[in-house]
Amino acid sequence: MSLVSALFLAFVAAVLLLYYVLPKSVRLWVVLAASLAFAGFLGFYTLLFVLVSGVLCYVGGLLAGPSKSNALRNVATVVTVVINIALLCCIKYYNVLGLAAERLNLLFGATETANTFFLYAVPVGMSFYVLQTSGYILDCRWEKIAPEKNFFKVLLFSTYFPQLMSGPMNTYANLSAEFEKAKSVRFSFERICDGAVRVAWGFFKKLVIAERAAMPVNLIFADHQTFTGLYVPIGVFFFAIQLYTDFSGCMDVVIGVSHMLGIELPENFNCPFFSKTVKEYWRRWHITLGGWLRDYLMYPLLKSEPLIKLGDWSKAKFGKKNGKKVPTYVALFVLWFAVGYWHGGLWNYVIGSGILHFIYIVLGMIFEPAFKNIRPKIGADKLYFRIFQSVRTFILMLSGFVFFRSATVMDAVDMYAAIFRRGGAALNWANFSASGLNLSNLIVLIIAVLLVAAVDAYKYVPSEDDQPKSMIAFLRSKGIVVLWAAFMVLLIATLVFGMYGLGYDSGSFIYARI
Amino acid sequence: MTREEIYDKLNEVFQDVFDDEDITVNDSTVAADVDGWDSLEHINLIVAVERCFGIKFTMGETTGLKNVGEMVDRIIAHLG
Repeated sequence: MSLVSALFLAFVAAVLLLYYVLPKSVRLWVVLAASLAFAGFLGFYTLLFVLVSGVLCYVGGLLAGPSKSNALRNVATVVTVVINIALLCCIKYYNVLGLAAERLNLLFGATETANTFFLYAVPVGMSFYVLQTSGYILDCRWEKIAPEKNFFKVLLFSTYFPQLMSGPMNTYANLSAEFEKAKSVRFSFERICDGAVRVAWGFFKKLVIAERAAMPVNLIFADHQTFTGLYVPIGVFFFAIQLYTDFSGCMDVVIGVSHMLGIELPENFNCPFFSKTVKEYWRRWHITLGGWLRDYLMYPLLKSEPLIKLGDWSKAKFGKKNGKKVPTYVALFVLWFAVGYWHGGLWNYVIGSGILHFIYIVLGMIFEPAFKNIRPKIGADKLYFRIFQSVRTFILMLSGFVFFRSATVMDAVDMYAAIFRRGGAALNWANFSASGLNLSNLIVLIIAVLLVAAVDAYKYVPSEDDQPKSMIAFLRSKGIVVLWAAFMVLLIATLVFGMYGLGYDSGSFIYARI
Repeated sequence: MTREEIYDKLNEVFQDVFDDEDITVNDSTVAADVDGWDSLEHINLIVAVERCFGIKFTMGETTGLKNVGEMVDRIIAHLG
C-alpha cells in the first residue's frame, strides 16, 4: 500500500475512527493491529519479516539488558544486531543476488520471469526498520533504556505503521514515551485539522512537484547519448527537486498521520537546500539517519581502543592539532561508507551518497582554519557571500545526485562525460518538452516549487526566541479559516494538478524503496 | 574530589581540547556556548574527560548529557 493512495487515506480514516471511538485502554492495540495489517498489505513476506525481526529485537533486548552477565550481554547484542544487519544486507543486495539467481535460472533454460519469487519475497523499504530495531538492542546493552518485558510494546515500536516504510527513525525511549502519552490523548478537531494539512502538503509535494520534476529527469538520465551538454545539469537539477519533494513529502504524510493519532515523530528535514556547508546540509537532510549513524556507529568507533590508540600515535606524529583529526577522518570514512551503502548497497550509492560527501566534509575541515583567517578580507558576512555558500553547497550535492540517480557508477561517469560530448540533441524547447513537461506543466512546477521554497524560507529564518517554526502554527495563528483555506487550496491543487491516475505510477516514494 | 576540584580539572580539559585558554565552564554551559563544540569535537572532549578522571562514560551518557553540570554529576557518580 502506497502512502500516496486513496487506499492509504481510507485505511488511516478507519484507524482514526477506531482509535478515537473505542475505549482508550485498547487504543494502542488498535495501532498495533493497524500496523500488522499495514505490513500485511505490503505483502505476506513483509509481515513475516517484521514478526520474525520483532521477536529477534525483543529477545535481543532482554538478553542485552543489565540483569545478565556481561559476556552473555555482549554475545546477545552482537549476534542479534548482526542477524538484523545481515537481513538488511540481504535486502540491499537483493538485486545483485536476484540477478545472479536469474542468470543461473537462465542457464537451466528458465525464462527471465522465473525468478520473480525471489524479488517478491524481499520486503521493500525495510532499511529504516532494521536500523531502528538494532538501535533498540544497542540501547538495552548500553543501558540507555531498560529492556521492555512486554513483547507487544516492542512489536508496536518496531512496526508502527506510519513510519514502517520510510522512517523517520526513532529511538525506543522517544517513541514509547509518545505511545504512553497517546493513551490519554483526547479527540481534538484542531489536531486532526493540523495533521490533515500536513498530509495534504505531502501529497501536494509528491503528486504536483515530484512526479512532474521526474519527467525531464527520466528522459535525460535514460538517454544521455542524445541529451548531452547543458541537458545534464538541467536533468540533475530537476532530480534534486524531485528527490527533495518526494522524500520530504513522504515525511509530511507520515508525520501528519501520526500527529492525528497524537503521536509526535521527529522531523527529518529542515530546509536542507539553504545550507551553507556540506556539514550543515547533513544536519538538515535526513536528520534522523545522520543522528542514528552518529550515535550508534561513529561515537562507539571513536570511543574504541584502536581509534584512541591511533589518535595517540597520530598526535605524536603530526602534532596535537592535526593528529587528533586522524581518528575522526577514519570514523567519518566508515560513517559515510555506511551512509552510501545504506542507500542502496551498490557502488553508485556508496560513492554518490557516501564517499563523495566524506571527501567534501574532510576537505572542509582541512581548509577551515585557513579560511577563518581570510574570511574578514573577502566580506564573508555579506549577503552575496551567503548566497554563494548555499549555491556552492547545492552544486556539490548535485554532483552526488548524478551517482544516486544513475543505474551504475559507469553510467554516472558517462553522464559526466556527456556534459562535454558534442553532437547531441540541440538545447531547445521542442526537445526538452519531449519529456512531457510542456509549458503548462512547467508553469505549475515553477509556482509549486516557489511555494515550497517560500515555506522553507519562512522556517529557515530563526524566530525571536530561536524556536523551530511551523507554517501550520503560523496559519493557525491567523485563524482557523485561513488554515482551512490553505487545506482546501492544497487539496484542490493536488486534485487538479497532481500527476496520478491512469498512466502514472506515482505509488512509490524513492526512499520507500531503500 | 569536590565539585570545585572537578571544575578546575575540567576547565583545563576544555581549554586543551578546544585550544582556547579563556574557556571556563559551569553547570549551565552547553555545546552552543563553546566555539567548536560540535558533534565531532564532542567525542574528543568525552575521551579527554575520561582520561583525565580515569573513568569510562557509558554510551548513554556520551550521547545524553544535557550540559556540563550533568557531566560533572556523572563524573562524581563514576568516581564513587
